[in-house]
Amino acid sequence: MTDWKALAAAADPPVPEDLLPDVIPALEKLEAAFRPLEQALPPDTLLWNGPEGSDSEGDA
Amino acid sequence: MTISEIGAALRSKRISARELAEETLRRVAEANPRLNAFLTVTEAAARTRAAVLDDELARGIDRGPLHGIPIAHKDNMFTRGVRTTSGSKIFADFVPDHDAATVSQLNDAGANVIGKTGLHEFAFGITSNNPHFGAIRNPWDPERIPGGSSGGSAAAVAAGLVPLATGTDTGGSIRIPASFCGVVGLKPTYERVSRKGIMPLGLTFDHAGLLARTVRDVALGFNLVAKHSSGYVPAAHADHHGMSLGGMRIGVPENFFVERIAPEVMLSFRAAVQTAAALGAHVTEIRLPDAEALNVVGRLAQLAEVSSLLARYLDRRAEIGPDVLVLLEQGRLIPATDYLNAQRVRTVLARAFSKIWKNLDCLMTPATPITAPRIGEMTIAFGSSTEDVRTTATRLVRPFNVLGWPALALPCGFSNAGLPIGLQVVGPPQQEDTLLQAGAALEDAFGLAGRQPPMFDH
Repeated sequence: MTDWKALAAAADPPVPEDLLPDVIPALEKLEAAFRPLEQALPPDTLLWNGPEGSDSEGDA
Repeated sequence: MTISEIGAALRSKRISARELAEETLRRVAEANPRLNAFLTVTEAAARTRAAVLDDELARGIDRGPLHGIPIAHKDNMFTRGVRTTSGSKIFADFVPDHDAATVSQLNDAGANVIGKTGLHEFAFGITSNNPHFGAIRNPWDPERIPGGSSGGSAAAVAAGLVPLATGTDTGGSIRIPASFCGVVGLKPTYERVSRKGIMPLGLTFDHAGLLARTVRDVALGFNLVAKHSSGYVPAAHADHHGMSLGGMRIGVPENFFVERIAPEVMLSFRAAVQTAAALGAHVTEIRLPDAEALNVVGRLAQLAEVSSLLARYLDRRAEIGPDVLVLLEQGRLIPATDYLNAQRVRTVLARAFSKIWKNLDCLMTPATPITAPRIGEMTIAFGSSTEDVRTTATRLVRPFNVLGWPALALPCGFSNAGLPIGLQVVGPPQQEDTLLQAGAALEDAFGLAGRQPPMFDH
């Protein structure tokens, strides 16, 4: 699993120490739910590009 | 009054656009100290515009159903010459030099903009408890949140200040406040309504949409801002003595969307399903693919997208609220590889979910698992476990931002405490007309449309 604390310290600027209790556990929980989904990805999967029949114009 | 009723009064000269604007401005001035729904009231512009619209009608120029109708825009919609804060101190003095596409479309249709409504800071949250501009309050109970992020728009519509307001929805930000405030909210299909000139938040999750008191009013607005609009508006109730849902195939999830739901919400939801069946719908219980996975990839990818836009302002952290600050810090740590793989998982999940439409026309779910929480309430108890308020509020709505499907929230009941309970109707991409048809039939049957909060019952 990712060492989020190390990433937080290495970020520019670093994540302030006082925010770490709110930042790190949430990312750990999200990662724990995400990794199994990521590992099950079929190798030929492409990026999501809008719902079927959408008229995406990238106009954000 | 509905938009059609106001329009009829305007055309029969029982009221003028000027009188309508004055009455609206008076109500806003009276209600806003209690609700904080409006961040900016464009009083002078609304009066000038009303005079022009009256003059046009007198000369036979009728721009259509929104001609002379007072509306409000969420304050992340660019409005030329009018400050657009996005609920942020950093943008407190930002004055765009152009209108958002939606703003232009509604202007062209003759709407009269009364002002800009408040929102959760940067539209990045569900409480609308804004640290810079103050908490927006729920008209049904001012000690409770209106939901968010489009909290000001929902509160303004619920209090009867305007019949129509714009909103944006990245993880439920139209449907959550619609549910908590007892109004109708439409999140259309991804990019069915242009996002040009709207402050972006989640680059691949943002949707522009509308809030109104009735499904038909939302339909009138939607037809004006939607690409490839069919012009469909459900027939007026009086004309058909209750619409039928005969032949409509409605799916009711047997998993996820009916789990960890407050008992009163579940009761109203079950009653709504029975109403749909009584109206002739073919209701089927359906086991859906992994909706929690949609929320996981949605949260992960959205965190990264938002930070890509807003982390540049972290050198002004004293001007950012604590909840948004934490999310921005989380987002900037997410590796690009994780972000991209979340978007690939999204593809896989979308493929799995799209199969349900082979046998269904729409889905019905509760809009939110709970009624409006109190201002400052951080967690919700479900039996012996607790859940963060943001996670609870977004749990049933975010999946459809991830899929990009259209979803409509409408009131289906009230709790014992007198708080609105919301129903969500979801359809396949581009099938907003189906949602509007189903929503209007259910709304007629529920008989709740236009019910006013007691303190705003004009």
